[in-house]
Amino acid sequence: MAGLREYFQTDWAAMTLADWIGTIVTLGIFCLMIWAYVYAFHPKNRERLESQRHLPFADDDKIETEKRT
Amino acid sequence: MATTQVERYSFDVVRWFTVMAVVYLVVGTLLGVYIASELAWPVLNFDLAELSFGRLRPLHTNAVIFAFGGCVLMATAFYSVQRTCGVRLWSDKLAWFTFWGWNLIIVGAVITLPLGLTSGKEYAELEWPLDIAIALVWIAYTVNFVMTVATRKTSHIYVSNWFFMGMMVMITYLHVVNSLAIPVGLWDSYSVFSGVQDAMIQWWWGHNAVGFYLTAGFLGIMYYFVPKQANRPIFSYRLSVIHFWALMFGYVWLGAHHLQYTALPDWTGSLGAAVSLAMIIPSWGGAINGMMTLSGAWDKLRDDYILRFLIMSLAFYAMSTFEGPVMSAKTVNALSHYTDWTVGHVHSGALGWVAMVASGAIYHMVEKLWDTRIYSPKLVNTHFWLATIGTVVYITAMWVSGIMQGMMWRMYDDNGVLLYTFAESVYEMHPYYAMRAIGGMIFWLGGAIMLYNVVMTIRQAAGRRVSAAVATA
Repeated sequence: MAGLREYFQTDWAAMTLADWIGTIVTLGIFCLMIWAYVYAFHPKNRERLESQRHLPFADDDKIETEKRT
Repeated sequence: MATTQVERYSFDVVRWFTVMAVVYLVVGTLLGVYIASELAWPVLNFDLAELSFGRLRPLHTNAVIFAFGGCVLMATAFYSVQRTCGVRLWSDKLAWFTFWGWNLIIVGAVITLPLGLTSGKEYAELEWPLDIAIALVWIAYTVNFVMTVATRKTSHIYVSNWFFMGMMVMITYLHVVNSLAIPVGLWDSYSVFSGVQDAMIQWWWGHNAVGFYLTAGFLGIMYYFVPKQANRPIFSYRLSVIHFWALMFGYVWLGAHHLQYTALPDWTGSLGAAVSLAMIIPSWGGAINGMMTLSGAWDKLRDDYILRFLIMSLAFYAMSTFEGPVMSAKTVNALSHYTDWTVGHVHSGALGWVAMVASGAIYHMVEKLWDTRIYSPKLVNTHFWLATIGTVVYITAMWVSGIMQGMMWRMYDDNGVLLYTFAESVYEMHPYYAMRAIGGMIFWLGGAIMLYNVVMTIRQAAGRRVSAAVATA
């Protein structure tokens, strides 16, 4: 445990603005990824998301033409 | 008021991009075969600077990545966005500006790179006037695509369009930052970054050219063309959502793994490697998602040669996205870096994934755009096998050669003296370099057959239209 604490030891006072921006962005993205996983795999969203699978088949692939003035 | 019958979608520009993509595939891979042959048989340099490996290698990479890959991405994005949004392109004029602008940039590359006019940045060799032109044309492409999505008739934005938009936004950002330079002449400039920051920016761009341009963009192709060719919806839409966001959030971190054991702080390389390994999960999720689209209908692969390209590309995608993270781990990187193993890895992605999925999409589009069937399905099958065998020969040669190089460079005797000189390792590479050139030639032959088949398909469709018009008259 002491080894682990030593491994993650950080000199917070030495953190520059760039370090803080990087840390906040990293943690923000980590939280957003967690949210994305929960959102996509939550059972209540299943039907709504999976219904979009068929979207490319709404188009019948024909080279359709139309009248234009 | 006069009325005219016009196509519901803007497909003329897509047709031109499609044909040019096939032309650039043949030209770009022929250049690759030539420079691979120069490494095996240096006499082919002919003592001409313009033909030397150093000058032609960037021309090869620009031809296959930006000329071939760019035309494929522009053709497929403009094709699928109209199909999935139910509207014409937002601006035909902007689409034609994109076509001519992109092709003129390629002409600029063909002139400047053999003359040695280069910024020296990998995968971003073109000098500042061409960099500005790339930014303008790319923004025109992006604006047109985004505005087409904005004016869509469907309520949902299909996942392929998300991948295309992700690529467009990120490549704009990456290209502009990486190309920031101070011009000192028309064809000469200095990067605004220097030292270790320059290296970091270079590989931040370099790896994301792979991650966003050659992966996210081509995944956009996969998510539209695999379901369409298989005539089955994607296996899991939820998995595609996770695949997209994990790729967008994850890929930008990886560049530092190209700079292990350099002056870059150690932690950046470790972070790059850690995120690279984490990226195996979404990458494999995406590959499985594409392959499982055929679940219960694997028999389609027996006679649908176009589908074979698309599914085989996913096998190579899975392989490359496993191999890359493994190579980024510091222990493996100590052996693999600076060796031909890296070249083999790049080509398993470029030939096996990018060119294969692009070929499948091109064959699919040619049938739809010219409202016909492919001139010769047998030649599609021949192309498939030549592409597969050529890729396997190429990457196997580079694996063996790369691992042998790495081993030879690190062998010491009891006194701590290197056992082999660098020249000795070069000598040992010769059979593998010859084998690589042969593998590339086999792959090129498949591309040449594709060009013939596509041209004959278009001629066949044109001939049929003329016959139909005569019959109607």
